Amino acid sequence: MASFRRREFLRMVGLGGTVAASGCSPDSGLKLIPYIFPPKDVVPGKATWYATTCIECAAGCGALARNRDGRVVKLEGNPLHPVNLGALCARGQAALQGLYDPDRVRHPMLRRKDGSSGQVTWEEAERLLADWILELSRKGRGERVVFLSGLLTGSLLDLVTEWREKLGLGEHLMYEVLSYEPLRRATSRVFGLEVIPSYRMDRADLIISFGADFLGTWISPVQYARQFALFRSGEGGGDRGLFVYVGPRLSQTAACADLWVSVRPGSQRLVALGILLALRQKGISMAPGPLAGAIAQLLQGWTMERICQEARVEPGEISRLASLWASAKRPLSVASGLEFVDPHAEETAFVAQILCALRPESLQLLDLERPWCLGRSSSLAQVHSMVEKIHRDEVDLLLVHGANPAFSLPEDWGLEEALLKRKVKVVSFSAFPDEISSAASLLMPSSTPLESWGDWEPHPGVRGLIQPVMGRIFETRALGDILLGLGRRLKGHTVFQEESLEEYLRKKWMGIHSAQGAEESFGSWWVRALARGGTWEEGTGGEVAKVLGQGISPGPSPPGVDPRLDGKQEGFQLMVYPTIQFLDGRAANRTWLQELPDPVTQITWGSWVELNTEDASRLGIQLGGLLKIRSPRGRTLELAAYPTDGVAPGTLAIPMGQGHKAMGRYAASVQGNPLSLVESGEGGRLLCPSGMSLEKTGQSSRFSNTDGSPIQHNRALAVAIEAAQWRRLLEQGSPPKLRLPLPEAYDPAEDFYPSHRHLQYRWAMAVDLDRCVGCGACVVACSAENNVAMVGRQLVLEGREMHWLRIERYWEEKTPRIRFLPMLCQHCDAAPCESVCPVYAPHHSPEGLNNQVYNRCIGTRFCSQNCPYKVRRFNWFTFSRPEPLNLQLNPDVTVRQKGVMEKCSFCVQRIVEAKDRARREARGVRDGEVTPACVQTCPTGALVFGNLMEKESRVSRLVKDVRAYQVLGHLNTKPAVIYLKRVINEI
Amino acid sequence: MKAESAQPQGEILTYRKVQELVMGAMARPGRLYWVVVGVCFMGLLYGASCWAYQILTGMGVAGIMHPVNWGIYLVNFVFWVGIAHSGTLISAILYLLRARWRTSIARAAEAMTVFAVMIAGLFPFIHLGRVWIFYWIIPYPNQRDLWPNFQSPLVFDFLAISTYLTVSSMFWYSGMLPDLAAVRDKTSGIRKKIYGLLSLGWQGTHEQWRHYSMAYLLFAAFATPLVISVHSVVSWDFALSIVPGWHSTIFAPYFVAGAIHSGLAMVLTLLIPLRRIFHFEVLISTETLESIAKTIVLTGLIVGYSYAVEYFMAWYSGNMFEWDTFIWRAVGNYAPQFWIMVVCNVLAPLLFFSKKIRRSLAWLFGIAIAVNIGMWYERFVIIVGSMAHEFVPYAWGLYAPSWVELSIMGGSFCMFFFLFLLFGKFLPTVSMSEMKEALGAPARACSPGERT
Repeated sequence: MASFRRREFLRMVGLGGTVAASGCSPDSGLKLIPYIFPPKDVVPGKATWYATTCIECAAGCGALARNRDGRVVKLEGNPLHPVNLGALCARGQAALQGLYDPDRVRHPMLRRKDGSSGQVTWEEAERLLADWILELSRKGRGERVVFLSGLLTGSLLDLVTEWREKLGLGEHLMYEVLSYEPLRRATSRVFGLEVIPSYRMDRADLIISFGADFLGTWISPVQYARQFALFRSGEGGGDRGLFVYVGPRLSQTAACADLWVSVRPGSQRLVALGILLALRQKGISMAPGPLAGAIAQLLQGWTMERICQEARVEPGEISRLASLWASAKRPLSVASGLEFVDPHAEETAFVAQILCALRPESLQLLDLERPWCLGRSSSLAQVHSMVEKIHRDEVDLLLVHGANPAFSLPEDWGLEEALLKRKVKVVSFSAFPDEISSAASLLMPSSTPLESWGDWEPHPGVRGLIQPVMGRIFETRALGDILLGLGRRLKGHTVFQEESLEEYLRKKWMGIHSAQGAEESFGSWWVRALARGGTWEEGTGGEVAKVLGQGISPGPSPPGVDPRLDGKQEGFQLMVYPTIQFLDGRAANRTWLQELPDPVTQITWGSWVELNTEDASRLGIQLGGLLKIRSPRGRTLELAAYPTDGVAPGTLAIPMGQGHKAMGRYAASVQGNPLSLVESGEGGRLLCPSGMSLEKTGQSSRFSNTDGSPIQHNRALAVAIEAAQWRRLLEQGSPPKLRLPLPEAYDPAEDFYPSHRHLQYRWAMAVDLDRCVGCGACVVACSAENNVAMVGRQLVLEGREMHWLRIERYWEEKTPRIRFLPMLCQHCDAAPCESVCPVYAPHHSPEGLNNQVYNRCIGTRFCSQNCPYKVRRFNWFTFSRPEPLNLQLNPDVTVRQKGVMEKCSFCVQRIVEAKDRARREARGVRDGEVTPACVQTCPTGALVFGNLMEKESRVSRLVKDVRAYQVLGHLNTKPAVIYLKRVINEI
Repeated sequence: MKAESAQPQGEILTYRKVQELVMGAMARPGRLYWVVVGVCFMGLLYGASCWAYQILTGMGVAGIMHPVNWGIYLVNFVFWVGIAHSGTLISAILYLLRARWRTSIARAAEAMTVFAVMIAGLFPFIHLGRVWIFYWIIPYPNQRDLWPNFQSPLVFDFLAISTYLTVSSMFWYSGMLPDLAAVRDKTSGIRKKIYGLLSLGWQGTHEQWRHYSMAYLLFAAFATPLVISVHSVVSWDFALSIVPGWHSTIFAPYFVAGAIHSGLAMVLTLLIPLRRIFHFEVLISTETLESIAKTIVLTGLIVGYSYAVEYFMAWYSGNMFEWDTFIWRAVGNYAPQFWIMVVCNVLAPLLFFSKKIRRSLAWLFGIAIAVNIGMWYERFVIIVGSMAHEFVPYAWGLYAPSWVELSIMGGSFCMFFFLFLLFGKFLPTVSMSEMKEALGAPARACSPGERT
């Protein structure tokens, strides 16, 4: 990546500003110019970049925050960070809307006994909480103070531990909804370590995923998506990898597979067992030692017929998978490890890991020495016992930060009720309102990670730094500062010496510095770490170290057969899957994510229940029909039906994350929370019940989906070719004939108007459909960069969404398979929009850009009518953003008013910026120097932007690829967005 | 077209009779008239306030959306332009062709034309996202040297419509001069002054008559190509785009034929009540109405042929996008509108092959209304039906007009009838001078000295 140096330079420049930004008063960033006494490093109109870490999920991707005039306006991936290497997912992009969440808790609040609540000062709040703690300590009840947080790592975890110990308080639980506990347990049973391993998918040549959605939500999706792209391109060494997805739902990840094996939830492990059995039957050697014993034990009593019968798959299918496994050089199998999507998650993960353990080559793809920090979250049993304690009045004070169990724990544990009825006092440090905070008597809002200091250790060897990327916008404090303040108040300065979290963090990092034994002084090392975004072992870049190859044992509990065999029960099996937009529901109050169409259903703003079309027609259920879903224990939920071929028969699949009651205006929904249907099983485990029944209510509702048609009607827009055909084309080596947006492509016989002349640049984009995984990160990045308005459910229903870039999803007409097609302005050379506008608002620039001149537009909308790609968006109203969401607006991009047309500009502001820089340095713009927001954030590198006039640019090389084609190329619009066909291995 | 005598068989028309009949219609109106005018005016005001609301709030109050960016505003635009056609056709083309049955209806048809063009011209503005800067579409010299894009059919359109409005108003007005002078001579007081001013000092001298007839002929010759060109240009708004269902070379003649079809139907719709109310049976004979009906049969057949050819070309081109669009028109979400269009425009006028039907006022009126409805839906089917179902299936979408659009459309009809009612009472609705010219010499002699 050519932009490395520039970024690093900018970050170094930006560093000094950090101090200025963090020291600001709460209203920093609220005022633009004038600065009578300007902060040292803030130059009006000049962006400053700060390196930080995104902790929207535990993966801890490195991020760069772009600060303009005291406000952070954009997040991008940190290209140096080994986890994400420059990309961010949709949720990471939308972290900004967390910072600017209009429903954030803006100041400390006290809820009085009569139910009224009012603002208090930090001083009052701190004193009050200190008094409560003091009183409990005096009574010797300090142990009965429980600290409940989301996952914490690094210095903040140390601080919380230290704080609790010094004050003599009770346990600290780190609750994560998606904690992958079954995966951890399975790993422990196979490898003796209860961890979540890191995977090296890029080095595999066959991946079988048992329901693991690693391209969207699973553990570290950005990293795994990147690895997946390498795995597909064969750049990790070897041939193009094969990907098989076994699971009940054709998820976004499954959509990228060569083969989707549809099974009921819970039958994943049967398929895995079947593969194991078939391998043994084929005479593939089973590894010696404890593994052989474990396998023998595992397969006892299983025959292929039984497996196929219970899993309802064809025997041929399993033996096909087994032969694939046997013939692969480095096969890898991964399992979801989530009870929400697989009732036998642990068994599935166990068998999947046994499969990996069969081959030393596979074992090299698992890294147990670099386990994910997510594995350190508290077990559900621990959380359960805490809830039990609350029920027994054994918890007096519950301190909450960043965890929302009232939303996600099984209802039959009765947490919400206990919080209201029992004597426990809840104090919430959460930055956002949520269900558990609504039971709090005292709210002491913490700052968001973007306003705080901190660090994050996703796995050993990688420590990302978190620094404030702008001043606080509300009267909030970082959690560390709150704890230190309380500590000082209770125990004095001698016990809590650090004045602030920043100081604490520095001290911790001094320790890291000395542990690394670097010669450099701490001062310069620290500055470098801040500029780089943290510290990690050089040259790792996700490099895998040694693998624990020995000592595999079946673990203490024998992998017995669960008596709840699939397929024998009446009714439906429930699965509640994490979504690309909200993960477990934490990001539900963000408009960018609410309006991001679900990759598979293309529905925005709302929830639904997916069921198989055959089930639906058997029960007479129509699309949008409102269903009452009833669990065997009598819990009900009303959701609209979405019949699809994309889920296995007998399955009800519901997205996770909607149904909030107290998370803010955008998260509020009329639909219920599907997690309320999940029940508690034995030993504090979760149980997605089977035997669900459906009842038609007779009502129906419309989905605010953005797809006009689910299929492409043989129009060859999203094109795929078979791998064999692709290889043939590669051998022939002749590039396809395209009508490129260059003068060469003009032919007097076909073109009425003469060609455009481009002097130095002709910007173009290549979109590799084989790499696109449909994750939608580009869509959110585009909205963030270009001030694209979010319009809300009603207007999406009316067909007025404003996205400049959309991921079109087309179902194949014969097989249940999905193709994604990113669609944006094609910047045609012979643009139909340009010729029809009476006032030249769409204007062809000398660099080939199809500029939309907003000021010139009078709103005839003819351009949109004449655009065959339908990528232009009209401002039906003047869209506004509630404060402080408006602070996010990118000052480099006009905010459009009602009555004008808008569309993708190839991020012209970034092109201008790059050209300015190049001009200052008296050179041309280098390849890769301009990256539009979508290109920048694409985890798989599916989008490549560059100059077609430069013969050696990456985009110029890609347009000569044998897979290159133009969407609707026959219209002779000469689009500058060149697509590369998706490759499908027919398995 | 067969030229027929304007003279009815029964009663003998004389100069006096003509004058009495036409001027009689301009007598002081009754209460009912004012009530109807008032209602129309209120409707007009309501439509105007809806437009104001739309300007203040944004185009989102209309039902238009992505991908159907053009809704019934442009349906109405094309509809009214179409209506505007037959006025000039009747007064100019039939004048040049010496089709004498046109004489008695030319004036009313021309008035209809002028009002319809006025209304049609409003709709593109109503449809503009930022109407407050509409004038950027006008090629006027400015310090920034910014000219409109002459490649754009919308600029052609603007020029064509404004030319047509100018020419048809002048044609209408200059043709009215002798009659206005006649009215001036028969009225007194303020009315005399107003009509005196309007008649531009017409004295009926030989010199004036000479200039007048030359100007009239010239205007007729000038307006004739406009009849063809205006609707051809309007059709290019669609045909010059690349939208399947629009991008077709047949559009210009197809639209012109459709325009005349709808315009003739609208003439019938207006004349039949007018004839009844003003007792113009002697002036506007059943034969005249029958002639119009015969012409409607012809235009109906042309329109029907166009529909068929569109399908043939979509199929024969082998272009799947085109063919899909046309199949979807007939069976898709807008199929009811499509079949209304076919029945009303093509099948209903075939009934006029029966002499009995085309001489029956009730049938004439009913079929005229049907053709009006059918032609409105034709524009709906073409505009909305093509947009909704374009190249990219992901971007397909369905449109339904909102209350604002329907209100403004209602307002436009109110405006039309408001203007036409005022015309019917305050201006001579039948050309007295031309009627008199058309009288046979014996009839003229019956009223010597009455010539104005």
